[in-house]
Amino acid sequence: MTSIPTVEAVRAAVATVDDPEYPGISIVDLGLLESVEVRPDGDVVVGLVPTFSGCPALAMIAEDVHAAVAAVGGVTGPRVDIRWLSGPVWTVERLTGTARRTMAEEFTVAVRIGAGPVPCPRCGGDTAEESMFGPSRCRAVHVCHSCTEVVEVMRA
Amino acid sequence: MGRTWASMDEFEAFLDDGGTVEVDDEMPDDYRQAVFAFIEMHANSELMGGLTERDWIPRTPGLRHKMAVLAKTQDEIGHGHLLYMVAADMGLKTRREMLEDLFAGRSKFHNVFHYRAATWGDQVAISFLVDAAALASQQAVFKNCSYGPYRRILKRIIAEEGFHMRMGEERMMLIAEGTDFQQVMFQQSLNNWWWPALQLFGPDSKPDDVLLRWHIKSERNEVLRARWVQKFAPMLISYGFTIPDPGLVHDAEADTWTAGPIDWEPLKRTLAMGGPDSARRIGEAAANWADTRWVREAMDNAPDRAAGAPA
Repeated sequence: MTSIPTVEAVRAAVATVDDPEYPGISIVDLGLLESVEVRPDGDVVVGLVPTFSGCPALAMIAEDVHAAVAAVGGVTGPRVDIRWLSGPVWTVERLTGTARRTMAEEFTVAVRIGAGPVPCPRCGGDTAEESMFGPSRCRAVHVCHSCTEVVEVMRA
Repeated sequence: MGRTWASMDEFEAFLDDGGTVEVDDEMPDDYRQAVFAFIEMHANSELMGGLTERDWIPRTPGLRHKMAVLAKTQDEIGHGHLLYMVAADMGLKTRREMLEDLFAGRSKFHNVFHYRAATWGDQVAISFLVDAAALASQQAVFKNCSYGPYRRILKRIIAEEGFHMRMGEERMMLIAEGTDFQQVMFQQSLNNWWWPALQLFGPDSKPDDVLLRWHIKSERNEVLRARWVQKFAPMLISYGFTIPDPGLVHDAEADTWTAGPIDWEPLKRTLAMGGPDSARRIGEAAANWADTRWVREAMDNAPDRAAGAPA
């Protein structure tokens, strides 16, 4: 006999999945989780939004979410449907404070929000853009004027 | 302002205590040179690897893997970019000088990029075996690297290389469970790439290796190499493949796998730019640099750059 999982239990399971390129940062803190639906028959539909539609990690993230959610809800487990939604569009505003802090402290990655110079995650000084694109389409490369640190900047 | 040390003994004591050196510190010249050469070789390898990856974008089978190769190309070129910036900050060579040395065959890059990837099987072997070897080497540096700017960049690079590894594992399992043709192709690729991947770790570390003494890397080459053999030999054998090492020994009792004698001549040849594909690879990289000159000029002359931002 199977019990129907709660929405909270499913959310908690999704939150255990880290971004493949940011170990230690949950995809929920990255703002990828948009919706969780638990149907009366126990089937679960998880709606995710990609940072970029061409992101090569989408299939891997979906697999990880599927595995985490399938482990919720007892012996047989619910049927799980992971969907990449075409909207709403992901923006950096979807990052939680935890994600921003971990990026700054663990990965020296800043987040561009609004206009104005992006502060260096290491010393707080102003950074200047060196290149619009870094190792990924969602990140630019900056240099800190004060401590010369090479900084990646996540942007929408 | 940066810190100074009265003597090499004092500097080494600082490093032994787990001290981190920053770019504006008055580090000893030999240390600066050793760290710089290490980062420069890493940067060159990322660039040369990214260019190989790029060649496979149109040839990669299936949209999913094509997207991954596209993104991996951007990753590797991006890593090279970050590393060249960190290396240039050390004040020994500018980024342009490093690139000119690379294209003239005057500076080193990893041995594996001196060989040609002729089939998709070769690409799978590279993304599985070679990437794992490179990642293990980088992790050994990252764990305790005394040069702060490099260690912080490595943290991000390693996170992304870990993602590449997962893609490589997935590709290997697909091909291992594929048709006879695919399995024969992969065995051929394994024959070609097993030894270069193993040689990537380098010969046994010398007792007086400054990279170890100055905590630039934290594990000996032979330890990393042995761990890699221990992981991949049984895994590939379990998938039905043959390891092209007649001297490979399996101690059933301890369940350890040990490689046979290693011929280091091929590694030496690649370091002297005499590998099977060295000349073509360097020529292609230099041609690519020349072909993209107009992009750099356009960037340098863009109005907001011309106003004083660093070019």
